[in-house]
Amino acid sequence: MRSGLQENSVAQRSFVDLDHWMERYQQADPAAPATLIAALSPALLCFFRSQQANREHADDLLQDTWLRIHRVRHTYRPGEPVLPWVYAIARRAGVDGYRKTRRIAAHEIAVEALPARFAQSEPPNGLPAFEDLVAALPEAQQEVITMLKVGGLSLEEVARATSSTVGAVKQKAHRAYERLRKLLHTYAEDNVAGGAP
Amino acid sequence: MNCRDMNHALIGRSMASPLPSEAEDHLRTCARCRLLAGALRLPVAEARPSPASLRRIETGIAAGLRPVHPMGSKNCLLAAFVATFIATVALSVYRMGAFAIAVMTPLQTSLTLGSLAVGTGLLAYSLVNQMVPGSRHRISPRLLPLGAAISLVIVIAVLFHFQHERNFWAKSWACIRAGMPIGALAAVPLWFVLRRGTILWPTMTGAATGLLAGLAGATALEIHCPNLEACHILVGHLGVAALGAVTGLLIGVAAERGLPGRRLNDSDY
Repeated sequence: MRSGLQENSVAQRSFVDLDHWMERYQQADPAAPATLIAALSPALLCFFRSQQANREHADDLLQDTWLRIHRVRHTYRPGEPVLPWVYAIARRAGVDGYRKTRRIAAHEIAVEALPARFAQSEPPNGLPAFEDLVAALPEAQQEVITMLKVGGLSLEEVARATSSTVGAVKQKAHRAYERLRKLLHTYAEDNVAGGAP
Repeated sequence: MNCRDMNHALIGRSMASPLPSEAEDHLRTCARCRLLAGALRLPVAEARPSPASLRRIETGIAAGLRPVHPMGSKNCLLAAFVATFIATVALSVYRMGAFAIAVMTPLQTSLTLGSLAVGTGLLAYSLVNQMVPGSRHRISPRLLPLGAAISLVIVIAVLFHFQHERNFWAKSWACIRAGMPIGALAAVPLWFVLRRGTILWPTMTGAATGLLAGLAGATALEIHCPNLEACHILVGHLGVAALGAVTGLLIGVAAERGLPGRRLNDSDY
C-alpha cells in the first residue's frame, strides 16, 4: 500500500539510525551531515513539492531548511525522535517561503473542484496523481496528509511536527479524507459522463 | 463499518499495513471509499534533489561544522521559568507588602493563588516545549494562553463580589501601573532562557511569554492589593496579564515580519 517513494525513503531511513547520526552531527562528526542530508532530503523535497504554494521553490526551501537545521542543531535532544524535529523546522521554512512568494490566495481558497491540470497528470489507473489530489485540499490538511503519506510520519510525529495534538491531527486527516472522497466521486462521475475509461 | 469508520482505519495505520477485514469488506461495497483507498495507494512522484544542490548544502555545513552542546533538559528549563516567576513575585511582594493575604478568606487565597500557579505552570511547560521543535504538546500552544486567561477570569468572578466602587478606574490604573514593571522585570530573564531555544512561531511564543510575565505582575498584586472587588481584580490585576500578553503578541508579530526569507549562501554556515 505504501508508495514507491515511501518505500524508498523509509528503506533509506531504516539503514541510518537518525537519532545516532543526529547526535554525531552535534558532536561535529564530518560524516554525519552528509548521511542525514542523503537520508532526509528526498522526503523533504517531496514534502515541499506536494504543497501547492511551495512547489516551484522546493529546492530553495530544502536549502533553507538545512540552513536552519544547522543553525539550531543544539536544540535537538538526544533520544527524542528526529523526524518531528526536522519537519517542524521544514514546516516553518515552508511558511516563510510561502509568505515570501506572496501566494496568499492559495492559502485561503478552498478548492471545490479538482485543478484543471488534473487530467494531464493522470496515471494509467484512471486516478489523479497524489500531488494533484492533495493540491485540492486546504493548506493545513495538505500538510497533514503529506507528512503521513510522503514523510511516513506517525500521527504522534505529525502532531509533534505541527505543534499540535494527536486529536487535532486526526481531525484534520478525517476532514481531508472526507473532502478527497467527495472530489474523487465527482471526478469519477465526470469521467463516466465524459466516456473516459 | 461505515465511511467514517473507514477514515479512522485509514488514519490510524501506516499506509503499508493491511486494512482490517471489516474495512476490506466495506471497500467491496462502497465505491467512494474504494476510490479514496485507491488514491492513497498511488505512488508519489519521486523527488530527488539535484546533486549540485546537495553538494552545496553538504559543503557549506561541513565547512562550518563545530561541536554543539544539546540544550538543557526540559526539567531544567521548566525550573528556570518557575524560579524566575517565583523570584519576581517574591521580590515584588517583599517590597510592596502582602496586605491582601490578611483580608482574603482561606478559600479565596488558596483558589486564586492555586489557579495562578496552575496557569503559570502550564504556560511555562508549553514554553519549554515551544523552545524545541517537534516537542509533544498535550495542550495546543495556540489555545493555552486563551484558556488560562479565561479560567482565571472565571475563578475571580466566582470567588469575589461585584459591587460599585468609587474611583474604580483610578484605583485599577494604579494597580496596573504597579504591576506592569513587575511583568517587565520577569520578562527579561524569561527572554534570556527562551533565546537558547528555537522560536519557530514568534507570535504564539510571544503571547505566551508576555502572559507569563504579566501573570507574575498579577500574582504580586493579588498578594499585595487588599481591594477584593471583583471588577477591580479583573481589570487592575488580570489587566496586567492581558497587557503583557498583548505586548508579547505584538513583539512576536514584529519579529515574525522581520524574519527574512533567505536564500542559502556559503557565508550562512
